[in-house]
Amino acid sequence: MGFLDSILGNTQLPEAKTDKLFAISTAAITLEANLGLKPDGAAAVCIKPMDSSRYEAARTEIEDLLKLSFKEKGTEHSIQKDEFNYVWVVLKDKDFDDLVTNIQMVSQILMEQGFGTQLLAAVYRFKGESTVYWIYNFKLGSYYPFVPSGNQQRNTSQEFRLKSVMGAELPIEKDEAKWYPMWGMPI
Amino acid sequence: MRRWKSDLGLEARMFITMFLLAVIYLAFLAFLLATNTSQVVIILFMGGFMFLQYFFSDKMILASMGAKMVSESEAPELHQIVSRLCAIANLPMPKIAIVNNSMPNAFATGRNQKNAVVAVTTGIMNQLNRSELEAVLAHELTHVKNRDMMVMTIATFLSSVAQLMVRWLPFFGGGNQRDRNGGDGFIVMFLVSLLVWIVSYILIMSLSRYREFAADRGSAIITGQPSNLASALMKISGYRVPTQDLRKTEGPVRALFIVPAISGSSIWNLFSTHPSTEARIAALERIEKELEA
Repeated sequence: MGFLDSILGNTQLPEAKTDKLFAISTAAITLEANLGLKPDGAAAVCIKPMDSSRYEAARTEIEDLLKLSFKEKGTEHSIQKDEFNYVWVVLKDKDFDDLVTNIQMVSQILMEQGFGTQLLAAVYRFKGESTVYWIYNFKLGSYYPFVPSGNQQRNTSQEFRLKSVMGAELPIEKDEAKWYPMWGMPI
Repeated sequence: MRRWKSDLGLEARMFITMFLLAVIYLAFLAFLLATNTSQVVIILFMGGFMFLQYFFSDKMILASMGAKMVSESEAPELHQIVSRLCAIANLPMPKIAIVNNSMPNAFATGRNQKNAVVAVTTGIMNQLNRSELEAVLAHELTHVKNRDMMVMTIATFLSSVAQLMVRWLPFFGGGNQRDRNGGDGFIVMFLVSLLVWIVSYILIMSLSRYREFAADRGSAIITGQPSNLASALMKISGYRVPTQDLRKTEGPVRALFIVPAISGSSIWNLFSTHPSTEARIAALERIEKELEA
């Protein structure tokens, strides 16, 4: 948002960027080969819901398509609200590529319906010695690692290690101040 | 892609107000420089004060309000609410502070987005539910995003000079001017300063109200739920009188800087500011309709 917008008090939510969302697909191979981190069969999209009947319509369309995807590929899904009133489309599938495709589909529908501004994050769960999340921030269009270590603490040193190992392959957010923790994720 | 229509009416009113202030200030400045160059000293003096006030606003206000900066582990809920809002609106994350006061209120301060602090009282945390608290925090984040500290500091600057002159000219003005027209010159200067002060004060108050509406609108857009801010405002509007008392705790800041007008620019009390709760809720209802359109 420009300087003039801020001086005149105009607020717009930035549109979601999805061009780098797919990068996790190839990065998953390196994550497993170099760091022993395997996809853990779960991913989710986090959405800020809106007071609008058109938003409800988009939500119904997503549910219908996910039901279809369950029939075709066996991807399980559930839609839930977290304690902060954000909506999570949680997907479960052993096949990582199916997860990536479905995440892409959900965000695509929301953008087509005009709710790309409401997309907060996509999250992929990985499992090694500990659970690692890769969070895609839709507004920045980049990923960052999130390694919770119990009691709302995070393992920052492992997060930085993940960044240095994966930096070449995954578009990782350079501004570490924007590596916002996500507590209360339903995955 | 969905773009919110800008509230052009609001932006136009804001622009006109700022433009009128600029015109008045330039005329006042020209007048001061033309009549008596020693006024430059007053302007520089005020400028220095305003700059210090602006630069250290966060520390001064937090100290005077008794606000305590809290880390993520001390206030995980507040941090999580704010960081998610910052992520979705792509804003820098401010520092967060809590004021131990049962009066429900919230404010934002800091000279720029990087040094911003958003503070809430324990009262507001107790009285609002999480969605309402989120709406209030989004309102404060919009103040930060809109650079209201900077805008209002600049807007109040020459008004404060005029006010200072109105106060002090009766004591010193006449005596300093020993030329033949000294007496008249003093009266003219006094009247001009008084006029500038009154007119700019009215404009500053309007500007401040417009910026409140803009922050309400920002909150509605960022949260996607204008109704949450409306219900927060309704819950808290019953606390008008106590919030006035909270404002008085700014005392030390005022005492330090002599010019009371400054206090308006240095702090953004969400609920003691100017538009009536009814007008704000009506504006939020219009935004709610926009969502359906």
